[in-house]
Amino acid sequence: MKKGKFGKYGGQFVNEILMPILIELEAAFEKHYPTSEFQEKLGGLLRDYAGRPTPLYYARNFSKLVGCQVYLKREDLVCGGSHKLNNALGQALLTKEMGKSRLITETAAGQHGLATVMAGNVCGLETEVFMGVKDMKRQASNVKRMKLLGAKVTPVDIGMGVLKDAVSDTLRKWTACSQTTHYLMGSTVGPHPYPEIVATFQSVIGTEIKEQILKKEDRPPDKIVACGSGGSNALGAFRAFIDNEDVKLVFVEGGGESLEADNSAAAFQVGKPGILHGAVMQVLQDEHGQIKPSKTRAAGLNYPGRGPEISALCESGRVKAYYAFDKEVFEAVKVMCRTEGLIPALETAHAISYMIKHKEEFEKGELVVLNYSGRGDKDLDAIMRYFHGA
Amino acid sequence: MELEEKFQELKMKREGAHMPHVYYGDPNEDFSLKLIETLTANGADIIEFGIPFSDPTADGPTFQAVCERALENGVTPPKCIQGIRKVREKGIENPIVVTTYYNIPYVMGIGAFLNEIKEAGAQAIIVPNVPVEEADVLLAEGKKSGIHTIFQIAPTTTEDRLKKIADIASGFLYIINVEGVTGARESLADSTLKLVQRVRRHTNMPLLAGFGISNRQQASAVVATGADGVIAGSAYAKVYEKNLEKPEETLPEIARLAAQIKQGCIEGYRRRQGN
Repeated sequence: MKKGKFGKYGGQFVNEILMPILIELEAAFEKHYPTSEFQEKLGGLLRDYAGRPTPLYYARNFSKLVGCQVYLKREDLVCGGSHKLNNALGQALLTKEMGKSRLITETAAGQHGLATVMAGNVCGLETEVFMGVKDMKRQASNVKRMKLLGAKVTPVDIGMGVLKDAVSDTLRKWTACSQTTHYLMGSTVGPHPYPEIVATFQSVIGTEIKEQILKKEDRPPDKIVACGSGGSNALGAFRAFIDNEDVKLVFVEGGGESLEADNSAAAFQVGKPGILHGAVMQVLQDEHGQIKPSKTRAAGLNYPGRGPEISALCESGRVKAYYAFDKEVFEAVKVMCRTEGLIPALETAHAISYMIKHKEEFEKGELVVLNYSGRGDKDLDAIMRYFHGA
Repeated sequence: MELEEKFQELKMKREGAHMPHVYYGDPNEDFSLKLIETLTANGADIIEFGIPFSDPTADGPTFQAVCERALENGVTPPKCIQGIRKVREKGIENPIVVTTYYNIPYVMGIGAFLNEIKEAGAQAIIVPNVPVEEADVLLAEGKKSGIHTIFQIAPTTTEDRLKKIADIASGFLYIINVEGVTGARESLADSTLKLVQRVRRHTNMPLLAGFGISNRQQASAVVATGADGVIAGSAYAKVYEKNLEKPEETLPEIARLAAQIKQGCIEGYRRRQGN
């Protein structure tokens, strides 16, 4: 298979201006990533700064509720509150190796933007974060955090003012400064080599799960459940298990309000293969190929495309795709709060909702790992508004 | 008219080419047709006929707004292809180069799309988000349907890639003047001049330079350095977007601008010749 292709998905569908930069990035990744020097630096930061390895927590009360054994992979305990830092630290180190001085990126929930400015500061790089105006409003607390850490947060008001528009605008901005600036992509989307780089840096999640579950249960899990849109936390958790067909992999996307009339972000349900932001992927679009906006209350899942690798894995049947509606997601937040005393991010609550919704199907001894990708502090206002109004 | 024929004709007349870029359907189809008519009547040699896309990542703010308006007004790829037919029905014979992002032909089927635009009267296609690495299908289908695939060359393009691109390109090469997106700019960097000279060492194919060209002086300077012509797009949209209620009223101003840019192309060509 051609590099950067996952079946018919993936590729490098970008303007000529960016091609030489992508080639340079791929070469830098291949050169530096395998060296023991790079691994030591990254390993050290993941351990001492990010707080890895994250615990694998046996959620006794939640397990009782859903009728099987559920472990939570606690990515919410990564410094910053989500899995995003795993990748940000890796790419920031790579940026240093390439001799570039600035990072740009986009963010929706703000978690990736936050992780990027953290990693940027640690590595001595300037950071600029593009964010849709609508997302800036609904994730205001993360905007404050990013600014406090010294990032320049640039509002994007084109289109609907959400993630899709922010990605488009960051790509445009990058074409004007790519020689000095690295675009630190936060998910397993975009042109090759991004999907590969991000999945590699996130695969630390699955590597840890494998070790931890063997220690605790002496066997691999029966199932791993993760939420996603581009697919970074899911692939991070899945990659170490893809070759082991006994481990079922479940991906939960944003169902939004309903699957009808552009009220959803569930591209595996209502999208089809298309080309957006540099790659062929499963994407929401109209009959003529115009990209449609996605809709879900979880800003971090509000993207019309599924990354190339997760698109291919779902097409082949290796990964099963499900979705959760906003209403179910808020209920799932409540359940996790009451059973385990944890406030999950709205994104993570999609995976939790899948567990609750399918509880009749689980067998008692079934061993499930839920990738608990982020904490919900950033969503507190939205959650309170949903349950109590105003 | 074929592209080769057009470039031959311009050589005889000792003129640089002017290719204005119009996104069809902004603010409505009727105006786009009048706009194309006005441009060709005022010195446009080739028409770059844009099919609007929802996420035009190589375009600056002016053309982003253009695409958004056109799509809001209900323009679709089939309507655009019909628009090419209408241009031909008006008796306009200038070569037409279709520009669109890859998802539009991808969804219709690359072969089917190219056949349709060929049949409607187009000669070539530019797909800004298809670099040479991803161009196999486009090139093969283009050959079958008789549509030139136009490639872009940027200041960041390495010598290696330049060679690769020059080898497979046909029709002409699109020189991206600046690192960035489409849009009128005040001044053009020296890098444009250097880039044109660099590309010239690899190919005799016609070179059209675009991104940031909005007036006679810029057109003249770029052609004088060795480009065979210039592309201007946002500069025209900037004129009519001031009066979207009655964009027809801006046509005289657009006519003057087109004539001036074409004048620049002629001057530049003659300056290059040393007289």
